[in-house]
Amino acid sequence: MFGLIGHSTSFAVARKRAEELGYMEHAKGDLDTWCSTPPQLLETFTVKSRTGKEITGGYIDSCFLPEMLPARFKTAARKVQNAMAYAQKNGFSVTALGGFTSIIFENFDLARFQKVRSTMLEWQRFTTGNTHTAWIICRQVEDNAPRLGIDLEKAVVAVVGATGDIGSAVCRWLKQRTGVKELLLVARHQGRLETLQQELAGGNILQLEEALPQADVVVWVASLPKNVEINPNTLRRPCLMVDGGYPKNLDTRIHAPNLHVLKGGIVEFWRDIGWRMMQIAEMERPNRQMFACFAEAMLLEFEGWHTNFSWGRNNISLAAMEKIGQASVRHGFRALGLSDLVTAPVLSIS
Amino acid sequence: MSIPATAPNPSLSAPAAHLVASLPDFTSAAYKDAYSRINGIVIEGEHEACDNYKAIGILLPEQAEELDRLARMEMKHMRGFQACGRNLKVTPDMDFAKAFFAPLRNNFQAALAEGKVATCLLIQAILIEAFSIAAYHIYIPVADPFARRVTEGVVKDEYLHLNYGQAWLKAHFGQVKEELMTANKANLPLIKTMLDAVETDAAQLQMEKESLIEDFLIGYQEALSDVGFTTREIIRMSAQGLG
Repeated sequence: MFGLIGHSTSFAVARKRAEELGYMEHAKGDLDTWCSTPPQLLETFTVKSRTGKEITGGYIDSCFLPEMLPARFKTAARKVQNAMAYAQKNGFSVTALGGFTSIIFENFDLARFQKVRSTMLEWQRFTTGNTHTAWIICRQVEDNAPRLGIDLEKAVVAVVGATGDIGSAVCRWLKQRTGVKELLLVARHQGRLETLQQELAGGNILQLEEALPQADVVVWVASLPKNVEINPNTLRRPCLMVDGGYPKNLDTRIHAPNLHVLKGGIVEFWRDIGWRMMQIAEMERPNRQMFACFAEAMLLEFEGWHTNFSWGRNNISLAAMEKIGQASVRHGFRALGLSDLVTAPVLSIS
Repeated sequence: MSIPATAPNPSLSAPAAHLVASLPDFTSAAYKDAYSRINGIVIEGEHEACDNYKAIGILLPEQAEELDRLARMEMKHMRGFQACGRNLKVTPDMDFAKAFFAPLRNNFQAALAEGKVATCLLIQAILIEAFSIAAYHIYIPVADPFARRVTEGVVKDEYLHLNYGQAWLKAHFGQVKEELMTANKANLPLIKTMLDAVETDAAQLQMEKESLIEDFLIGYQEALSDVGFTTREIIRMSAQGLG
């Protein structure tokens, strides 16, 4: 059995969801109520691979809410630890840490606290899902850029959040496997950028504002800082943007010709899944679409690879991306592409 | 061009070092004052647990021997916590502690008089045990070294009783489900009142109410799930009185 740890995208969404589920006390409860609500197993479901194999999984809501940060960081950490302990105690073989779960785990260095009450967390039961996410984002770039007339061998690709776990893997793949003309590395930490540049033996380190006007393709694996505004008129056309950050803060509601924004790191399964949980993640087709990190837990369960396939920072190898990518195709996942856009491809940045 | 994001984008730069609790000053007057009430509560709690298990033994004569063993274990815990008070040169406030437990004790005694085993077990073996274990878990990282050793030993034992009560209720779930729901409704709000009553003292010991409630609910919900309730029932039951 595999697990998915997720959470609502906002307090308002969480309350609405609780109301729909008939949990009126939580729907009416204030943030304090949610801060002291334990993780809940909201749903179990079966998933059938294209190979015919069937597996069972469960969705655990950690009851974390983005509004808990930054002030209630202890609460946030506790939510992650308690949800992981819940998954382990309930016998989930491999569980993906979705949404902010893996980000909190990594940023707060929760690997220091292996014991949660009577449970000694076994890291091999968990995966960040980042290897699959990175592979899917690379597929999205490779599949969709040519459809816009962008030849990657002649293209400039900016990776925003280049030094993160997913970002560095995407850079490695694009440099070594895709052969883009020029790679622009954008991130906050200068030291990490220089280390990455050395590892890649290439790539130009630039500020966000400098990089965007030069890029034919922009891969976002970091959320855009709140105080940054971007004038779409300065961007190249055509321009492909793959929004792989969490939360997704590039929007598709406002039209700007020849700017194409894809939801990055999202996959679609080959058949419907009898679950309701992706509705809260605001997927276009919630019965089939999901975060690639969740899909990684399914892939590990399908393949019987009960291991922390994606773990720690900057450990994602190209071989691991290839391996999970092959499994992804085999079992019936595909990356979301331009043809999946319901609305006209457009850009706004908030 | 800028529109509001659909999801909040919080800062994740909180200092990870702050997650490790710093220890309070165990010798300060404020700490000792708060400790006198908290220490009284744990001593009284263990004492009442001893009495309650003996009393349940009267309702379940075939289990009397096992329950008597549990009762003796609770007395051992009580003596351990008395030693913790002496170690810090604190006199436990037993009057406060007795008043603290009075509503729950009255409900237990009423159920006992009516021969309601399930209600007695819910109060003692599920509610009070989950409350105690949660409090001990939250206390251990911020306890003085002596109390820490004692409490760690107690926690190991406490897991046994929780399982004992659960096992009986699970075996009789069909017959006792309705009674348990009624007992939950009557007694869970008392736990909230008890937590509110010690919020300030617990904070002095660096035990946060929010994490106490969450830890308690984790143990309580786990027990209810094992006994046989569904997720939906459990969420609704635990929302009664703790919201």
